[in-house]
Amino acid sequence: MSYAPEQAAPAAAISWRARLQRRFREWVNRRIPPARSVTLDQKRIFIFPSRVGFFFLLCLTVMLLTAINYENNMSYGLTFLLTTLFIIAILHTYANLSGLSIHAVQARPAFPGQQTEFDLRLERGGSRPRFDLRLGWPDSTEQRVSLVESGSDTLRFYCPVGERGWYHPGRLLIESTYPLGLLRCWTWVDLDLRAVVYPRPLASPDLPGHAAADAGGSAIPVAGSDDFDGFRDYRTGDSLRHVHWKGLARGHSLQSKLYAAYAESDCWLDWDAFAGLPVEQRLSHLCYWALEFERRQEDYGLRLPGVRIEPGRGDAHREQVLSALALYGLGGGA
Amino acid sequence: MKEIEQVPRSALIWILLGMAALLAPHAGRLPVWVLAVYGACAFWRLQIFRGRWRYPGRLVKFGLIGLACTGIWFSYGSLLGLEPTVALLLTAYAMKLLELARRQDAYVLLFLGYFICITEFLFTQDLLIVLYSLITVWLVTTALVALHQGQQRFGTTSLRQAGVMLAQAFPLMLVLFFLFPRIGPLWTVPVKSHAARTGVSDFMRPGDISNLSKSDEVAFRVSFEGDIPARSSLYWRGLVMSRLQEGAWSSLGYYEVPPAERRAPEVATAGDAIDYSVLMMPTQQRWLYSLRYAESSQGGVMEAPDFRLFRPVEIEEQYRYEVRSWPATTLQPALSEWRRETELRLPEGDNPRTVALARSLREAAASDEAFVDTVLARFTNEPYVYTLQPPLLGENPTDGFLFDTRRGFCEHYAAAFVTLMRAGGVPARVVAGYQGGEVNPVNRTVIVHQFDAHAWAEVWLEGEGWRRVDPTAAVSPLRVEQGLEQALAGEGSFLADSPLSPLRYRGINWINSMRLQYDALTYRWQSWVVGFNSENQFSILQEYLGELNGRKFVTILLGSWVLVLVPVGFWLLRRRSPAALDAISREYLAFCQRLARLGVERAPGEPPGAFAERAVVALPQSASAVREVTALYERARYAGGDSTPADTLRSMRRAARGVGRQNRLG
Repeated sequence: MSYAPEQAAPAAAISWRARLQRRFREWVNRRIPPARSVTLDQKRIFIFPSRVGFFFLLCLTVMLLTAINYENNMSYGLTFLLTTLFIIAILHTYANLSGLSIHAVQARPAFPGQQTEFDLRLERGGSRPRFDLRLGWPDSTEQRVSLVESGSDTLRFYCPVGERGWYHPGRLLIESTYPLGLLRCWTWVDLDLRAVVYPRPLASPDLPGHAAADAGGSAIPVAGSDDFDGFRDYRTGDSLRHVHWKGLARGHSLQSKLYAAYAESDCWLDWDAFAGLPVEQRLSHLCYWALEFERRQEDYGLRLPGVRIEPGRGDAHREQVLSALALYGLGGGA
Repeated sequence: MKEIEQVPRSALIWILLGMAALLAPHAGRLPVWVLAVYGACAFWRLQIFRGRWRYPGRLVKFGLIGLACTGIWFSYGSLLGLEPTVALLLTAYAMKLLELARRQDAYVLLFLGYFICITEFLFTQDLLIVLYSLITVWLVTTALVALHQGQQRFGTTSLRQAGVMLAQAFPLMLVLFFLFPRIGPLWTVPVKSHAARTGVSDFMRPGDISNLSKSDEVAFRVSFEGDIPARSSLYWRGLVMSRLQEGAWSSLGYYEVPPAERRAPEVATAGDAIDYSVLMMPTQQRWLYSLRYAESSQGGVMEAPDFRLFRPVEIEEQYRYEVRSWPATTLQPALSEWRRETELRLPEGDNPRTVALARSLREAAASDEAFVDTVLARFTNEPYVYTLQPPLLGENPTDGFLFDTRRGFCEHYAAAFVTLMRAGGVPARVVAGYQGGEVNPVNRTVIVHQFDAHAWAEVWLEGEGWRRVDPTAAVSPLRVEQGLEQALAGEGSFLADSPLSPLRYRGINWINSMRLQYDALTYRWQSWVVGFNSENQFSILQEYLGELNGRKFVTILLGSWVLVLVPVGFWLLRRRSPAALDAISREYLAFCQRLARLGVERAPGEPPGAFAERAVVALPQSASAVREVTALYERARYAGGDSTPADTLRSMRRAARGVGRQNRLG
């Protein structure tokens, strides 16, 4: 029953079944195109008796046989009342999903083997309470919510991610069997959510092309060994710590202080530094170093073919660098 | 990753309530220990919920099942038959509570609950029971809804939801009920045990009918086409008892009659006919009740050689039949040799004093007719007493009754009379059935109760055929003219064992009129709803729809459903455009307009915060109110809000009112 668009059939064994599944996926894609916000309507909602519903129908059959064999009109009456209750339940089950809006909020980046977080916002769109909604991606955790008191709710899902690149969680399954459990009403929505998966950090002894600053084998420039060397006009990428704030306060133009060691420690994570290694390994090493610099509070820049990120640090910078590494060679930037 | 689907607290409470309601109407039929099992299981389950006890292990469960089966065996002497099966089902249902852990278990429990509701209908389809069962179904459905609402707090939300759904399903059910073809049983099913039968039996010992007279149950209801005949002529013949054996009168079985005599003799009807229909309550017997001489054109109703009606199958459910009677008809002007011999036979040597008396009286009488009158006069003139509490009789009961005790109920008089007749050489037999009945002025039906059960005699006279003679009337004319209650007024024994029977309070006007109204309703219910069968289904449908065909059938079914489903769907799915959150926006806009009237206008696109600051500067008196409304609005709009929109809306409205007032005051 679960819908898993990522499941690719082995190319060798494209059976009629796989073809059927693909056809079905295409049909669902046409019917429910990806969107950041979805309001459920009859085009998107499917409904069918649940397993419990079939069991109920079996019970109804037994009741009907009892009524027939005992020629008992009240038994007929009760059997029919429950039959029509089943039919009425179709409308109520459907109404429980209909009009519900789901908004994609965010997806957090993650390293391979970790779990990403997807945040959704659920709005009931009206004053009627919604009960017993189950939401989840094929691989994610499942959430069970009711919207009774408040009109909306923010949900977080955890989902293990695969290798470097974009992680598409697939279609989100939203289902409910409210109010009687006899019918299952569901939809698959593609919220156009994808998470960035960074390269797997892989330690390398040193960063080739980077002058080792101490004998301990670490090639990281030591931030403390700064002999003041003079001023120069501020350029983007200069650390704010090196801005000559006092001069600025006196009315001079924005200037950076230059240190002797600074020029050398302006450190670049360079694609060419690991020449000869496979692409993924190169990216993994660069990722490792980016994290390492970040940990040591050093500025670092990134040079990849077609990508150049000036040195800097901080969360935003780190994310920029890691994303560039994550999406290297995949096209369709961040 | 799937969490275990627990049964929420509110659902558990509803389930327990529903089960109690399901059990209640069965309680009278069940052994007491089954009720105890219910109490114990419910308590155990509650203890599990409170975390005190644990679910029983598999061994314990098997042990309990074994015990339950053994218990049913001991209580009923069998596991087959309807009563033990239902009792077993109910016991298993109680014990299923101890397995109620997950949602799946709850489904089984609740669906079984619906089925248990049906088993109640197999015993009675009384109007009140049906109304009560509707409430039960509502409770069970509520439990089903509560299971999905998942709320721990016990409230009426589920009750309302279930009620709404059932109310919507009801009209659809009616359509199905009237259109669904009624077919006969597909196979034989366990029937009610005969221990429960009430009513006249085909075996009469002294004391049988007086026992029956303690019951106020309805035996049958009759509705006459024309006028209702006088009460004293309402002799409902059910059984003819021609054989006396070991002190008991009984009727002849089909194969005890020689083949030549088995067919009902041709009868030349005479006089005016009376048309009526009888709606009989289930008796688990075959015979039907009618006035003499009755014929029925209805299929499945047969006539016996002794001029009574019967059905080849037992009456398990209420049964309605149409009859036409000619009371003035002469029955059997000539007796066959076999018949004469049968109707004269008496056991050798029994009741010698009775036989001697009969012979001497017959010799003194000029004719058979005069003999009959002599015997009846004896009952009238000698100190015979009509009583519900006759003394016990020893060997030769007729002798004892006629000469010693002289106190008896109708069966004593009928039996003694027939014995006297036969001993005197006049063919005679006992007839059992009912006499009289209560006329319900509300719908002009005659209600015949069990206490109207009666036994009388028929004697065969040359040239006249069978004549009805009621020796009880000779002793107590009131019994025939006014009924049992008046006849026993001096004794005070009428329905002495059922102090709550509304029939005892017929003297109180409003109780009596309520009882009769309800009885009229019951008659309608029984004949039109409970008794709805393929015949009246066909005639009703044909009357309203004309010629029936498949297309018309489907059109009506679907058409009527659409009539219900479309409005329901519309009601459920309509877009509630003024959604709760939008109501808050509207409230805010109203607040802005209010400020605008006070001279502070909000610029297009101006953030609420900035606007509020401007307003505070312009209207310092209302500062706190303006800030409050703005804060509430922003919280509701952007923070998702902890409080419900309704609360926020109320607070905003209150605060906004403050703006105007403070300003005007200021």
